[in-house]
Amino acid sequence: MKLSSFNYLVGKGITSIWKNKMMSFASFCIMLVSLLMVGLSVLASVNINKIISGIEGKNEVIVIIKDDSTDEAIKALETSIKQIKNVDKAVFYSKEEAWKSMIDDMSKEEQELFQYTDGDNPLPDTYKVSVKDIEKMEDTTNRMSTLEGVDSVKASNEFADVLISVRNIFSVIALAVVIALIIVCLVIISNTTRTSVFARRKEINIMKYVGATNKFIKIPFQIEGTIVGIVAAVAAFILTMFVYRGAASLIQDNYQILTILGVDSLYSFKDIVIPVGVAYLIAGAVIGAIGTTISTSKYVKV
Amino acid sequence: MVEFNDVSVTYSSGVDALNHVSLKINDGDFAFVVGSSGAGKSTLIKLILKEIDATEGTVTVNGFNLKKLKRRKIPNLRRTLGIVFQDFRLIPTMTVYENVAFVLRVIDAPKKYIRSRVPYVISLVGLAHKAKAYPEELSGGEQQRVALARALVNDPQLIIADEPTGNIDPALSYEIVELLKGINECGTTILMVTHEHDIVRHFGGRIININAGSIAFDETIGGANEAQ
Repeated sequence: MKLSSFNYLVGKGITSIWKNKMMSFASFCIMLVSLLMVGLSVLASVNINKIISGIEGKNEVIVIIKDDSTDEAIKALETSIKQIKNVDKAVFYSKEEAWKSMIDDMSKEEQELFQYTDGDNPLPDTYKVSVKDIEKMEDTTNRMSTLEGVDSVKASNEFADVLISVRNIFSVIALAVVIALIIVCLVIISNTTRTSVFARRKEINIMKYVGATNKFIKIPFQIEGTIVGIVAAVAAFILTMFVYRGAASLIQDNYQILTILGVDSLYSFKDIVIPVGVAYLIAGAVIGAIGTTISTSKYVKV
Repeated sequence: MVEFNDVSVTYSSGVDALNHVSLKINDGDFAFVVGSSGAGKSTLIKLILKEIDATEGTVTVNGFNLKKLKRRKIPNLRRTLGIVFQDFRLIPTMTVYENVAFVLRVIDAPKKYIRSRVPYVISLVGLAHKAKAYPEELSGGEQQRVALARALVNDPQLIIADEPTGNIDPALSYEIVELLKGINECGTTILMVTHEHDIVRHFGGRIININAGSIAFDETIGGANEAQ
C-alpha cells in the first residue's frame, strides 16, 4: 500500500469519527467505563497484594540462642543464619533489651512487682529473622533449628500458611476478575462498533464491488476504533487519578490498621503514574483496534 | 471476455437457479440479458462477480478462472469490472467527485492520475457542474450517471449494468443506455440486465433470454432506432 493511500485511509478514519459522532460518542463512553473498571480493579489488586506482602514482611522468626553461648558463638551464629538463602535479615536482640522492652510494656503495678528480681533476667538472647519467601518458611525454620548454638526456633507457620492461602486465593480472584472484565469490554465494544459498522454496511458493500481489499476496508474502522480507544484511555486515566487519590487518602485516614501493620504505604499515584498511563494508552488502543476488527470481519468478507 | 461452460447453480435451499448454461460474451460485445423474475439473471451476475460459486461447470471472466480464483484475489477480478446497480449504490457521505475517485483510491492509483481522470469521466457523463454535489442532491437519472462514471473511471474491460434503468424515468432510461452504447463503442464490453422490453426493442443487439435457469434465446436482432 502506498503512503498516500495509507494517509487517505487515516484521514477517512478520523473524519468518520466526526461524521458518525453519535456512534463514536457511544463507543467512547462504553470504552471509558470498561477501561475504568479494568484499571481500578488492577490498581485495587496491586495495592491489596502490596498490603499482603507488607504483612508477610512482618512475620518474623525468633531464633532463641542457648543460654551458655559465648559472644563469639553468637556472632558465628549470625553468619550461619545469614548464609541461609531465604533469610532476608537477622537482627540481634539481647536478653537485656528484651527485659527492658517487657518492663516498659507493663503497667505500673506490674513494674513494681518485677523491680525486686535482683537483675535475674530469665529471658534469652535472640535473633529476629525476616524471610524473603514466606512459602519456604517451614524449611527455613527447620534449617535454623539445626544450627550450632540454637536452643529453639519460634515461628508462626500456621499464620504464614494462612497468609499464603489468602494471597493465592486473592491472586486467582483478581486475575479472574480482570480477565472477565477484559472479555466483557471486548464483547461490549465489538457490539457497539458492530452497530456502527452495520449502519455503514452499504458503504462496505460498495467498496467490495469496486475491488477494495479487506485490509483497505478495515483500516479506517480500525483507525477510528484506535483513536476512540486512545481518547477514552486519556479520559479514564484522568478519572482514575482523581478516584485513586481520593480513595487512597480515605483509606489511609480511616483504616489505621494499615499503619499499625506497618503497611501504611499504598502506592502513591505519583509512583505509578507512568505505568498506569502507558497501560491505559496501550489497552485503549488495542481494545479499540481488536473490537473493531472483530465487528468488521463479518461484513468485510469479499 | 465472459465464458460460461456448462454451468449449473443449486442453492443450499435446493433451488436450481441455473441448469447447464453455456455462454460466451466476446470482448467489445454489448448484450442484453432478459428474463422474468427468478429466471436466473441475478445468479448469472453473482457468478461473474464471484459472490457465489458454480455448483458445476466453469466460469471465466476477463481471463480469471473463477473456480480456481482464491478469495483474497477476488478484488483483482473486480478491478477489471465496472458495476452499475438499479439502486445506484453511491456512498451518501461522499460527493460526486469522491464517489468516482474512490474507485481509483481503492486500486492505489497515483494522486495525479486521480486528479486528471476523475473530472474527465464526470464530464463524459455530463455532470461536471455537479462534481461537488452529494448524491441526495441529485435526481435519479443523475445518480445513475454518477454510478456509470464510477463504473467507467477504472477503464474496466467489462461493465455489468444490473437493471440500470429500473429506478429512473423512462425518458432518462434511454439516455443511460445511449451512454452505455457510447462506452461500448470505445471497446468496453457491456452486459446489461433488464426486463424493459421497450428498451431492448429500441436498441436491438445481442439478446440473451434466460428462462427457468436455462438460455431460452441468444440471438442478435436489429433495433428500432436502426430501422429509423
